[in-house]
Amino acid sequence: MNEHDDVMCQVRESFSVLRMDVPVEHFFASSRARRHRRLSALTAAAAATAGAAAALALIPGGAAPARTGNPQARAGNPPPASPRAAELTAFSVTSGPGNSTTLTLRKGTRLDPGALRQALARHGIPALVTVGTLCRSTPGSSASFDQILHASTLADGSDVLVISGQAIPAGTRLSIGYFPNHVQLALIKDGARLACGSTSRQPAVRITPAGTPIRG
Amino acid sequence: MRHEQEEFADFYRASRDSCLRAVTAVVGDRELAEEQVAEAFTRAWTSWGKVRRHAAPRAWVVRTALNLGVTWWRRRHREVPLAEHDAAAPAGLDDGVDPALIAALRRLPARQREVLALRVFLDLDTESTAKVLGIAQGTVTAHLSRAVTALRRELPPANTNATEVTR
Repeated sequence: MNEHDDVMCQVRESFSVLRMDVPVEHFFASSRARRHRRLSALTAAAAATAGAAAALALIPGGAAPARTGNPQARAGNPPPASPRAAELTAFSVTSGPGNSTTLTLRKGTRLDPGALRQALARHGIPALVTVGTLCRSTPGSSASFDQILHASTLADGSDVLVISGQAIPAGTRLSIGYFPNHVQLALIKDGARLACGSTSRQPAVRITPAGTPIRG
Repeated sequence: MRHEQEEFADFYRASRDSCLRAVTAVVGDRELAEEQVAEAFTRAWTSWGKVRRHAAPRAWVVRTALNLGVTWWRRRHREVPLAEHDAAAPAGLDDGVDPALIAALRRLPARQREVLALRVFLDLDTESTAKVLGIAQGTVTAHLSRAVTALRRELPPANTNATEVTR
């Protein structure tokens, strides 16, 4: 009999009500999708490298692979994909449709929140991006998401957010909480006190698998 | 491949609840714990060839889940340099876990919570716990003792009036 048994039993019994409901198929699918994305990124990087090498070879005096002194280049082997290329696959930010901006977030990837924030800023969208948590301001913004955001989900599970930057009120930012399996959004006021957490109890928009923004 | 999937599925079914409970006990937030454990199981499947040969695969999952939490925590602090943004209380456990116990666990140092979680929910012995956490066995014993002492001081005594009926 261990002297700690009473407390350890109490802890064990108290937590016995917690159960994990995620089906095992989820892990197979996530892993498959991740592997596919990694292969796609490597293929894209290899194609880009090959294209760049071909372009350089066409420029008079350009640095042809044979001149680089790189044995890999001489052998025609593409260099390994850079971490930067891998990061970029987590999201994309493009102009349009119209005056809006389209943000695509791929699930199950390692998102660099700073890179996404800068990318959105270049499109005139002030944002606060966090991973594993969502930040809200007190007081919150009274602006409606309906004017600012349209969300949908692609077949591969990626979230597509069409953001109207012009509809974001002055002094307000978009707060994006990136989680492994979903994305949460809120509007926050500049200078207001922030509270961050992973709970969805406070008002926010959560992108469901069907791509429907719901208040939660 | 099919055989490996079945093997992993068996492992998952046998381990998921204990892993979730262990991580929840450490992070104090069920929703966050579930996200981290789910990600850890995804990584376990991705590296199943290695994880299945691990001395304690469940401990591998819990360790990975907890490391993910540290990564997210660091990223959050790098990304949000605003004071008091952590003032929000962590999500509670609406699943019937004693709130007094959760509060008492949150007051323990992180390392004590980790030792307690591995010992209680994964049934690891002192040696295995020390290996998983990368600390000395004596340190494990000390952490566990302090954690249990603190919890015993704060928690009401367990109901000892339960009657066992034998036939």
